[in-house]
Amino acid sequence: MPNPSPVLEVSHLRKRFGNHEVLSDITFTVGEGDVTCIIGASGSGKSTLLRCINFLEEPTDGAILFHGRDAEREWNRAQYHAKVGMVFQSFNLFNNMTALENCNSGQMRVLRRDRKTATERSLLYLNKVGMGPYRNARPAQLSGGQKQRVAIARALAMDPEVLLFDEPTSALDPEMVGEVLEVMRSLAQGGLTMLIVTHEMSFARDVCHRVIFMDQGLIAEDGVPEEIFTSPRQARTREFLSRVLQR
Amino acid sequence: MQLPTEFFGWVVFILQKYGSLFLQGTGMTLLISLTGTVIGFLIGLLVAILRTVPTTRRTPLAARGLKQALNVLLSVYIEVFRGTPMIVQAMVIYYGAMMAKLIDRHTPIPVVAIFIVSINTGAYMAEIIRGGIISVDKGQKEAAHAIGMTHWQSMINVVLPQAVRNIMPSIGNEFVVNIKDSSVLNVIAVSELFFMSKSAAGTYARYFEAFAITAVIYLILTFTVTRILRLIERKMDGSKSYTILGSQTDSQSAITIPADSKEEG
Repeated sequence: MPNPSPVLEVSHLRKRFGNHEVLSDITFTVGEGDVTCIIGASGSGKSTLLRCINFLEEPTDGAILFHGRDAEREWNRAQYHAKVGMVFQSFNLFNNMTALENCNSGQMRVLRRDRKTATERSLLYLNKVGMGPYRNARPAQLSGGQKQRVAIARALAMDPEVLLFDEPTSALDPEMVGEVLEVMRSLAQGGLTMLIVTHEMSFARDVCHRVIFMDQGLIAEDGVPEEIFTSPRQARTREFLSRVLQR
Repeated sequence: MQLPTEFFGWVVFILQKYGSLFLQGTGMTLLISLTGTVIGFLIGLLVAILRTVPTTRRTPLAARGLKQALNVLLSVYIEVFRGTPMIVQAMVIYYGAMMAKLIDRHTPIPVVAIFIVSINTGAYMAEIIRGGIISVDKGQKEAAHAIGMTHWQSMINVVLPQAVRNIMPSIGNEFVVNIKDSSVLNVIAVSELFFMSKSAAGTYARYFEAFAITAVIYLILTFTVTRILRLIERKMDGSKSYTILGSQTDSQSAITIPADSKEEG
């Protein structure tokens, strides 16, 4: 497993909603350039884990370390967010802005880049995801797959070190899943550190360096894809995989 | 001098004699309602932003306490000013401020009038804007946070522009209400349209004719304002068409996609 220096360390993370414990004691590290897929049944806590890493949910207990420093206490929140980006299931583009403005907004407000520099970066990444020609379109004028590609460009324009993907293709029509996965595949090949919650098992098998299987708020199994997909150690991993791979 | 004998005669007579009073009153009504609505809107924005400031377990206890206290204070403000008539608020504020020596007989009365309308409108606007903020889906705010924007930045750049667009009809409503309801300020002798109409009607005791004119003026004001706001709304929606710039084979190409081409999708 490629794991030279840990970029992100999740340490004894817990998250409770009321009396319901969604995450109980999650610990793992992500190295630079790692592409990690998190799989598991609905309600196993995958998305909550990602949202806790980005502090969209407040962890109940435990810590997230980014480059060895506590992300909650020792990092400036805006800086941390700029370095650890997120791509959402429902795209969440800013509806009051064009594709280009979506990509510029964070660069200009958070990174304080001037409009010219920001636009250059934005166009670079919009072109990379194949959305350059649509720079002046508003989200309402784009298809789901196009929106998600703009959302990925928006996240990339911040020059993140880690990109979190929360089921990026789950809200897409089947014929649009491919175009988004293609973009993600090229990012993985480019060496970006990625943490991906997904139901796309073939993507997890082909692209990820490492697969984490979550079950009931715990990491049940963690290994390289070949191992997880061909000879899972745990009975519940086998059961989950046989259920999703049947389809 | 020969006095008119029928309705239209009186209307023309009053307009000739007191036209400038009506004009001044109209000007004052517009000034008070426009300024009051704008300031009220700003108050509402501020209240809505303050009430939605998030707190986390890392927020210091003192800051959390301060926020709680502020929330209670803002709720009291909204309840009191929505729960009492503006005519009563005008009396209480005007004579209260007199007693407290905050203002005196030389204070320009329009300033007091604008203050009353603003603070009253602010209470309504705070709730209208809160509704507008709720109408913008939570995901966009999360996305704004996820690229590092602060609460203020995400509010000002992402949430409020959409919230304000969504509540434009309600803002227009408030403006129209203010044009009409600023008439209650005649109780503290603000020289707005209703007050001026009373003066115009008084000398010859032609109340029906004078106030018929007043009604028409109010109607013209509110009708015009409604149309203008509708135009602003359309402007805010922006262009429905967009241009695809460059293609794989020709980087100079530009295809304009007209409005409604993707509506059915």
